[in-house]
Amino acid sequence: MPLEPFEPAEQRNADAPLVVVAMSGGVDSSVAAALLVEQGARVVGLTMKTFCYSGTANNTKTCCGLEGILDARRVAQTLGIPHYVVDMEEAFTRHVIDDFVSEYAAGRTPNPCVRCNANTKIPDLLRRARLMGAEAIATGHYARLEPAASAASTAPGAAAPSAASAPGGPPSGASYSPPRLLRGRDPAKDQSYFLWGVPAEVLPALRFPVGHLTKEEVRKRARELELATADKPESQEICFVPTGHYGEFLAGRLGAEHAALVPGPLVRADGEVVGEHAGYARYTVGQRRRLGGGRGEPLYVLGVRPERQEVVVGSAEELEQSQVTLGDLNWLADPPAPGERLAVQVRHRARPVAARVRTVSAERVELELERPQRAVTPGQSGALYRDEQLIGGGRIR
Amino acid sequence: MVQAIYMDHAATTALRPEAREAMAPYLDARFGNPSSTHRWGREARGALEEARERVAAALGARRSEIVFTGGGTEADNIAILGRWRCARQEGARAVVCSAVEHKAILAAVQQAGREGAEVVLLAVDEHGTLDLDAVDHALAAAPAVVSVMWGNNEVGTVQPVAAVAERCRAAGVICHTDAVQAFGKVPVDVAAAGVDLLSVSAHKIGGPKGVGALYVRDGVSVEPVCHGGGQERQLRPGTENVAGAVGFAAAAERAAAEQAAEATRLAALRDTLCERIRAAVPDVRVNGQGAAARLPHVLSLTFPDADQDAFLIGLDLEGLACSGASACQSGASAPSHVLTAMGGAMDASATIRLSFGHVTTAAEVARAAELVERVAGRVRIAALARG
Repeated sequence: MPLEPFEPAEQRNADAPLVVVAMSGGVDSSVAAALLVEQGARVVGLTMKTFCYSGTANNTKTCCGLEGILDARRVAQTLGIPHYVVDMEEAFTRHVIDDFVSEYAAGRTPNPCVRCNANTKIPDLLRRARLMGAEAIATGHYARLEPAASAASTAPGAAAPSAASAPGGPPSGASYSPPRLLRGRDPAKDQSYFLWGVPAEVLPALRFPVGHLTKEEVRKRARELELATADKPESQEICFVPTGHYGEFLAGRLGAEHAALVPGPLVRADGEVVGEHAGYARYTVGQRRRLGGGRGEPLYVLGVRPERQEVVVGSAEELEQSQVTLGDLNWLADPPAPGERLAVQVRHRARPVAARVRTVSAERVELELERPQRAVTPGQSGALYRDEQLIGGGRIR
Repeated sequence: MVQAIYMDHAATTALRPEAREAMAPYLDARFGNPSSTHRWGREARGALEEARERVAAALGARRSEIVFTGGGTEADNIAILGRWRCARQEGARAVVCSAVEHKAILAAVQQAGREGAEVVLLAVDEHGTLDLDAVDHALAAAPAVVSVMWGNNEVGTVQPVAAVAERCRAAGVICHTDAVQAFGKVPVDVAAAGVDLLSVSAHKIGGPKGVGALYVRDGVSVEPVCHGGGQERQLRPGTENVAGAVGFAAAAERAAAEQAAEATRLAALRDTLCERIRAAVPDVRVNGQGAAARLPHVLSLTFPDADQDAFLIGLDLEGLACSGASACQSGASAPSHVLTAMGGAMDASATIRLSFGHVTTAAEVARAAELVERVAGRVRIAALARG
């Protein structure tokens, strides 16, 4: 029997399957929730608490701060759906924050949002959502899911329900193909790059309701619905370092005297010392350094030698490379064969670059770029595409 | 359409009709400030003092011993910090409380610690009951106050408050009890208990939120924590919440009058619900069940191998409202210090607290048992392990 509704939309779609929307408090996930309600889903909003807010004063940054939780609550109230906060702090610390810290300590530049999607925001949340009786989770990512090959197209953002499987893997039998994860329709906003690490078996249980919209269309919809977050600025910072001062954050975790944070020699590739750096964790490949004393020529960070606490700098030409190796691989579709041509994206804002697969193994993929790229950064993500489809990726070595 | 079931009366409960009726004029035409000389003020003063007498009577106290506060938390803060700040000048060195106190007490005690007090937490056994020998030991630390809650809000264990008060009295130490959860559920009488300070809260017994009281035995010295115009014997300055006090008084009278019958009725409902859930979920743990004395209206259950958030959310979506371990301000779950002190913290478990009030019926209890059983079956973590 239906419950007397506290939230009106709770009853409107009372018999529909339950979908949990990960609501960060931003406009994208707000509109994602709104669209699902319009499409007839029974929707519950969930905000993840990923770290403890009591210690951070004046934390009004978007995404996972307290402000985000309050905004998500307001939007849920406007939409008439229940909203809850779930504690993911332990898992988030383990999968995202610890990795962030150890990668910087090792001289690499991590991509915590990728780790979060691959571990916390999607799989852990889905597990919890299933425990709540939900069959799917939705996020505000600008990405699309399409059923594989010949299955009929369903509601935007959803994969063919017949392909949905029991947790743990696809059904045995000849014709199952997992849904295809495609770039978002808005090329300026496409966030598929951040999703390469999501385990393939969860794809049938994901929904991306705004993936086929442009950012402007999303904001317009939010204004029409009078959502509190319609004009909220986008989050630019890492959610657990709301001040943006990640050097300070690392010092808090590693200790200010850690090898990664203390000064050391700035060297050229041949070993010539050309100056001093302020701690190798504060530098990332491609950063520009200008030296005084009439040298004039701009030098770029080529890399880091953590065992010698050196930061290596060089010219723009030295910054280019044509070989890219990826490790810690994850596949969302059939892995490529040697010789196959793909597109690889080495940064969220970078253009995809054509590449030929040299070798593929369980541990790594070696790519030959058709044109040299600058600032290919160890620790960052390499996302692999066949046309519009994200087929997987790995961490740049 | 069915009503969702409210089974979280320990968190708060509906305003009693008697309270609402009593308050109405003071939210309307009788709006005077009790400190004013004129007739509006005199009328308000009269109502306030009558409310004070009625609350005092419900607690077995004199009206001069009742200070109206903004709630139970504020009363606790005045008791702990007010005593510490007063007594340290006379040589007190410590502040003592049990390990299972409400956060209002624990936080005030920690603050006293930052103000120079030695903080002594008294251990409890696996049922949540205080060890009286530990009290004797703590009395040697020259405490400004010993605070032991009358009944625990999370698991329902009732402490031997009179025994604690007797030992304190023998040692010349001031004894406070947080009776916020116990008042109206078990007989609470300050004379019988022999305590020097006692906190109560209106909204737990069907009064309005935002008002409570601190009983301060005649002759006991306490400093205020808030400073202002001298109202409430300078212990809680600020224009008095007349409507709140009047509502509190009406609720307190009803609660005290009904207490004996309600205690029997609620304990029976609690035990019925407990047995039904245990029959359906044999590995559930009933927290505090072995305690010598328990509050009749609280049932705390720990389900092994279950997801806390999914459980509470699942119950809410099915239409049963109850609570889990104490929550922080963001609304997400946090580990319970009470269960930890009882040695009962369990990884990968879900703890829910079902609590009953004067509107709880046997039919609601039956339905609650069904819903708990249904959701418990769904939130077993191992059944959904990855891969």
